[in-house]
Formats: sequence, C-alpha cells, structure tokens
Amino acid sequence: MKKPIVDPALKKVLQDFSRSFRTKRLAALAGYDFEMLRTRLAAIKDDALDRNEELLARFEENARAHGSVVLRARDGAEANAAILEICRRHGVRKLVKSKSMVSEETGLNDFLAEHGVEARETDLGEWIVQIAAERPTHMVLPAIHLTRGDVAALFARKLGRDVPEDIPGLVRIARGEMRKEIFAAEAGLSGANALIAENGAIVLVTNEGNGRLVTAIPPVHIVLATIEKVVPATADALALVKLLPRNATGQTITSYVSFIAGPHAAAQYIILLDNHRSEMAADPEFRAALRCVKCSACLNVCPVYQLLGGEKYSHVYMGGIGTLFTAWVHGLDKSKAMAKLCLRCHRCEAYCAAKIPIADLITALAERLNSETGRTLWKRFAFDGVMGWPRLQQGAFKAVRTARKAVGVKDGFARRLPAWMKKYDRFRALPSPAAVPFTKQFMKEFPPPVASAREAKGPVTIYGGCLIEHFYPEIGLAAARVLTKLGYTVKLAPGLCCGFPPSNGGFRKASGRAFAALLRKMEIEGPVVTLCPTCATMLSKRGPEIDGSEKAKALAQAVIPFGRFIVENELAAVRGMLKSPPAGLTATYHDSCHHKNLLAGERASRALVELALGAGIAEMDEADACCGFAGSYTVDNPEISAELLADKLAAIEKTGAGIVAMDCPGCLLQIRGGCRSRGLAVRAAHTAELLDEVLHPRPRLS
Amino acid sequence: MLDRFIDKAKSAGAEVVKLAALEDAPAFLTDFLKKNDLKTVIISPDLKARPPFDREFAVTGTALGGESIWVDAGIVAADHGVAETGTLVHFDRSDEEKNVWTLPEVCLCLLEARNIVGGLDDLPPKIAAHLGRTDIPSPQVSMVTGPSRTADIECQLTIGVHGPSRLIILLT
Repeated sequence: MKKPIVDPALKKVLQDFSRSFRTKRLAALAGYDFEMLRTRLAAIKDDALDRNEELLARFEENARAHGSVVLRARDGAEANAAILEICRRHGVRKLVKSKSMVSEETGLNDFLAEHGVEARETDLGEWIVQIAAERPTHMVLPAIHLTRGDVAALFARKLGRDVPEDIPGLVRIARGEMRKEIFAAEAGLSGANALIAENGAIVLVTNEGNGRLVTAIPPVHIVLATIEKVVPATADALALVKLLPRNATGQTITSYVSFIAGPHAAAQYIILLDNHRSEMAADPEFRAALRCVKCSACLNVCPVYQLLGGEKYSHVYMGGIGTLFTAWVHGLDKSKAMAKLCLRCHRCEAYCAAKIPIADLITALAERLNSETGRTLWKRFAFDGVMGWPRLQQGAFKAVRTARKAVGVKDGFARRLPAWMKKYDRFRALPSPAAVPFTKQFMKEFPPPVASAREAKGPVTIYGGCLIEHFYPEIGLAAARVLTKLGYTVKLAPGLCCGFPPSNGGFRKASGRAFAALLRKMEIEGPVVTLCPTCATMLSKRGPEIDGSEKAKALAQAVIPFGRFIVENELAAVRGMLKSPPAGLTATYHDSCHHKNLLAGERASRALVELALGAGIAEMDEADACCGFAGSYTVDNPEISAELLADKLAAIEKTGAGIVAMDCPGCLLQIRGGCRSRGLAVRAAHTAELLDEVLHPRPRLS
Repeated sequence: MLDRFIDKAKSAGAEVVKLAALEDAPAFLTDFLKKNDLKTVIISPDLKARPPFDREFAVTGTALGGESIWVDAGIVAADHGVAETGTLVHFDRSDEEKNVWTLPEVCLCLLEARNIVGGLDDLPPKIAAHLGRTDIPSPQVSMVTGPSRTADIECQLTIGVHGPSRLIILLT
C-alpha cells in the first residue's frame, strides 16, 4: 500500500507550532502598524530592485574600500567554484557555516565534500539535521520534526556515550561540540540578511550567536549572498530588523543583530550570486517574489505545509514562496509538483512581511507551466475545452443533469457514482445535480414583472455561479426571496461560468473567453450581489484584469457579496422584520478563503448569522483554515483535501453547534458532504439560506 | 524611557542591576566574579583603557589565547541602549571587543542610562557613522538583546546555545 502522505506526529508538531507562532506574533506586533511597516519594507525592496545593479556597484565599491574582496557569481556552480578556490588559496580543510539558505540552493556542502573540504553547520537545528543526514523541515526551525528523544539518540551515536533526553543538557552538549568545530575551522561562511550599499556592510540577524562566532573566529570569512539582498542605506536595513523578528518568530528583536564592514582577520570574500534573479527582477509579475526576507511566516500559516512539512513540500525552498523561487533558480520543471500543492487560499498573504501576492503568483506560474512544460490532460479538457466555451459548458452541465437518474439521489446526495469517482466520494458525499437549474427555477418563482411586497428600491442583480446554478439552486432562491422582501427588484445574471476555474488552472485565455461571454450577456443593473466569494473575486478583480473593458470595470465596481450588501444597506430593516428570532439554535461560522482573505467579508457574515439566529457565534478553532475543497485542488490532491476536511469537521464538532454557516457553495459542497459521510448531525448552510428561513418562517423541507 | 528599557531587557531574558555610580562597578564586578566562581575573565579593550577599569582590571586579559576557547565571563560597556527592544548597542572597534559579547558564559555589560535612545528608528545615523569609519580596519556594530537563545529542539526556548547564557546589564 502507498505510504500516507501525512505523518500524524509531524502534523501535530507543525499545527501546534503554527498556533503558538500566531499568538506570539500578534503580541509582538501589538502597538505596531503591521500594514505600515510591511508597506515600507516592500517599498524599500521594490526601490532596491529597480536599481539593483547601481546599488550592487556601490556596495562593491564601499566593501572594497574596507578591504573586502567582492566576487560575482552567475549561477550556483560559479559560486561553489569560487568558494572552493578561496578554500584552496587559504588551505581550508574545514569550513563552518551559519545558516545559509543560499548554500542549500547551490548544493555547496556536497560540492565541497567532493573536493575534500568539510562543511559543518553551526545553527543548532541545521547541525542536528546534518548529523542525522536528513533534510531541513522548516526554514527557521530545521529540526522541528525531531523530538528530544531523537536528538539524544543522535548525540549518543555521535559521541559514543549515553545522553539524557533533556533539552538544556542537549543544547549544552551541542554548544561544546560546535565551539570546538568553530575554533578548529580555517574559514567561516555566512549568508546576509541585507547588504548595505552606502557603506559596504553586511547585516546578520541571529538568535543563537553562531553567526557572530563563524564570522569572527576563523581567519577567513566568506559571505554568500544573493543580489536582491542589497538595500541603499543603513536605515533600510533597520526597517528590516524592526519587522523581521516580530513577523518571523514573534520576538521583538533577535538576540543578535550584527553589522560587519570589512574583514576582521586574514580575509573576507563576499560572493554576490545571481542564479536567474536578475531575470526574475526583470519580470513584471514575478519580481515581487524577490522582496522576500525569508521570515517564513507564510509557511507557518500554510494549511498544506502544516500537513506535509518542508521535506515533502519543497525542492530546496519550501512552500508557496519556495515554489516561486524554485521555478526560477532550479527550473520550471522542478516547481511543477510543488505548484500543485498550493491551495491558493491566500492565507499567507495577510502575514507576508513584504506584501508578496504569493497565491496569485502561483497562478501565474501555473500559466507558465501550462505553456512551457505541457498541460495536465484532464485540466486541458475541462478548462481549456469545456469551461472556456459557454456552449460546451452548458452542454456539459446538461449531461451531468441527465446523469442524475443514473446515479440516483437521496437527500440531495448522489447515491451510485462510477468507480473512478470513488476516491473523491469516500471522504465526502458528493451532491447530486439539481433537477432544474437555478435560473429556470428563478423564472418560475419570480415571473417578471416582480410584484414586490413593499415599495421597490430599485434593481439588484444576483449572480449565482456554477455551483448554485447546477447544484444548489435553493441558495440562489433564498437570496432572491430575502432581497425581494427587502423591497428590491431582483434581476438575474446569466447562469454562465465566471471563468475562475480555468484561470486558477493556469488557462488564462479560456478564462478570458468564459468571462467575456458572461460579460456580454450580462446587464449590470444596480449592485451585483454574489453568493460565491470565488466568483466575486473573478468578477471584481481577476476578470477585469484580463478583460480591461469599460463594462468589466463597471462590473467590478458593482460586485458586492451578499452578506456585506445586507449588512451595509439593510441591517436595520432586517432587524425590524425579525420580531422573535428562532430560539435554541447555535451556529458556528466557517471562513471561506476568498471570502475572508480577498473580500474581507468575515465580519459582515458573522453579524448576519448572529442577527438571523439571535445568538452569538460558537467560534471554532482555526475558523479560517481551508476546508480542503479549493475547486480542482480536491481532484488533484484528494488525500490532502480529505485531511483538511477531517480537521475542519473535528473543529465544527467541538463547538457543539447544530449549524455551520458559510458563504461559499464550494465549501458547502465539501463540508456538507463531509458531515454526511461522517454521520455528523450538523447542518451546513449558506448565510443567505439562514436569513431567508428566519424572514420566511416555514417548516423546513427535508 | 529607562523603565521601558529595563522592562524590555528583562522580558528578553537579561538581568538588570542598578549601580549608583560608574565607580561602584569594579567592586560589584569583583564581588560577582568571586561569588559565581567565574575564573577566566576577558574585558573589552576599550573599557580596560578607561578609568576606573584601567586600575582595577589591569591584569585581566582582553584577547583569547589559542586554547582558551572557554571563557567564564566577559565585561563590556555598551554605547547605547534601545528602550523599544531592550537592546544594547556597541560600536566594535576590534574583534576582541566583538567577541567579549559572544564567547563567555556570562556577559556583564555597563550601560549609562543617559545613552538610552527611544527606538530602533533613532539608530541609523549612529550606526551609519560607525560603519563609514575608515580609521579602523573593520568597523562592526553589535546589537545584543538578552542571552543567546535557540528553539531548535521541540520549539522549546533554551538559552546559551552559542553565546552567553546570562546577560547582566549594569545600569549607571
């Protein structure tokens, strides 16, 4: 049997770490304007990238004035060769290193070993991982996957004596061993968190102090730094120092911040490595990734990283940001498997110290992977073929509807699915297609002209999206009833796909075609109320970016999610209509990724649910962790999808709430199906359904 | 500002001792070293050149011998303190000075309260001025906050992994 992709022990360690990280980070940022600090840092990095070559030249000149030797390396092989040449010139047999991600990028340790130079790590985690002959699991905490027992056993093997499983004792032993190695080494290698152009200094941000020893004890100091680390001035480096530790580990500052200008003893060599970064800087899209300061906050909050760890979710660089670097420095083909692991949940972006649009860049990468390394067959069929052409799209959904009878329906779920779909149905019952699509049901229930109960307030247009059109028409109808009751004349957008799924799969052209077809048929009358945050993102952001027409811009302006529309315009009216809210119902709320991370809709929706039920929300743990649906992701990665769903269901169950409310029909498919499979007596409902039910009390249909 | 500095330094794991005057430091230090049985002691060369340390610590070494990689205590003086983070700032003029901060088990650091600045944003001109110096071969700046620390085993904060396990600030 295939080994499960998720190791439960590692998952627990990483999830616990993520929680404590977020708590500490928030405390460290209390009283600081994170948005302002990161905007400033992003601007510094952008400016430095704009004039990278000029700044590098100034850095070189100033470093040389202090007596440093500055070398340029085009790629990893050149950097490795330069380091070996320095080792030979100074008779270096043993080199000690403080943590350098870049040396992992170039494969320095193995290269030096092949040529008779021993490279020893001195960051405790790296040192442990090196003794264990394993690979790092985390950028900042490389040995996070090992327990004190594992480490004690390792040390016992290395030292040939018993070692107690006590952390301070283990650290003590490591201190002694590493100190001896540092004093025995003929050269020390460090990276740099920043290179200051105005004075030729390098900046090192460390906690352990190994960076200080490695750069000061051995006679030769080698700096291996990449070109995007250069900043104009000392103040810019301090802006980084101010934010990096708070965002990386929740510390106000690291134990040591060292500025080093010039060689301390025999010699200092500074190697400036490009390795495709100047090409990346010249790319208008991907250059944003070069702002990265390697704080790893994005990893710490990534739901997929927490399941897999850095060994499985990496080439050398880890996670989503690592995928982007991998594509450039190690090659597109190396990034392909990693790119498929990103949920595109955008959770990381709220934490990024440099405001890098990581998830959008993964989408842009998916486009390049499609055009340059070949397309996944099913995606080519589904996205480029079917979804990209409105007629085929409608035909396909019609065919699915016809299959309704064959699969059988019970309580809205499909009963007999073909064998190949079993792996998608096992952990989550799949819904059966609706007998009649939303747009047709709407025409029947609201025949024009709509006779409103109250004085008409003008038109609003509802856009349901594919899942509501073909699987959950009841959500669309609920929203229409609520809006009608509030006095609006409800219009309907065509039941066509918004174009998001092809876009997310990296099929930009097909996405543009689908979006344009929808736009052509759409009459934008009044606000366009959306019931799916993913569609809302497409209509208000991504679509207009691809299309650029005046009508697309008008649509972007008109789009508003259902929850926000009600809360911003009709809160008092709804309150007035709700004489006595239903008693005894408790709800928890699931934050759909795009609803929270891209549309900031989480507060309005909670307010709406609380209003409808007349009770506070029973908050679940990790309410904003992805449920694992994420569109085609659940098809690409069913194991991860199932694992994320299991965590979500456990969190829901723990609240004891009878209802889990949400704003995305995709999440609804996943969570409702999961509750069904698991036999969980919790009702998964869209906020529009809940509001409709309390405004139009009637016995619920089973 | 002083209170904030003390608060932040302590929460980073440093110990803070208030002394009435700089002249009290040698007596305090001698007593401290004796009480804690700290035998190998190094002192920062710039401090050793200043009164009253030029008399009291005349015999204390400043540099590390080839074999003396284990140092019990180091004595330094910070150029600035930063209230925002509880950080000590030192403009290193030589490697000996830099190493006194990192090598010993216990680092004892003098700081004059009047040299405490509000925040990191106050530092750039001072640091830039030192790094731009051409009269010394390798200008370096050390910013030190609390003892050396790691969380690399089971995410448990553990002190003294490479540098000092105790950082004691003597405020005058």
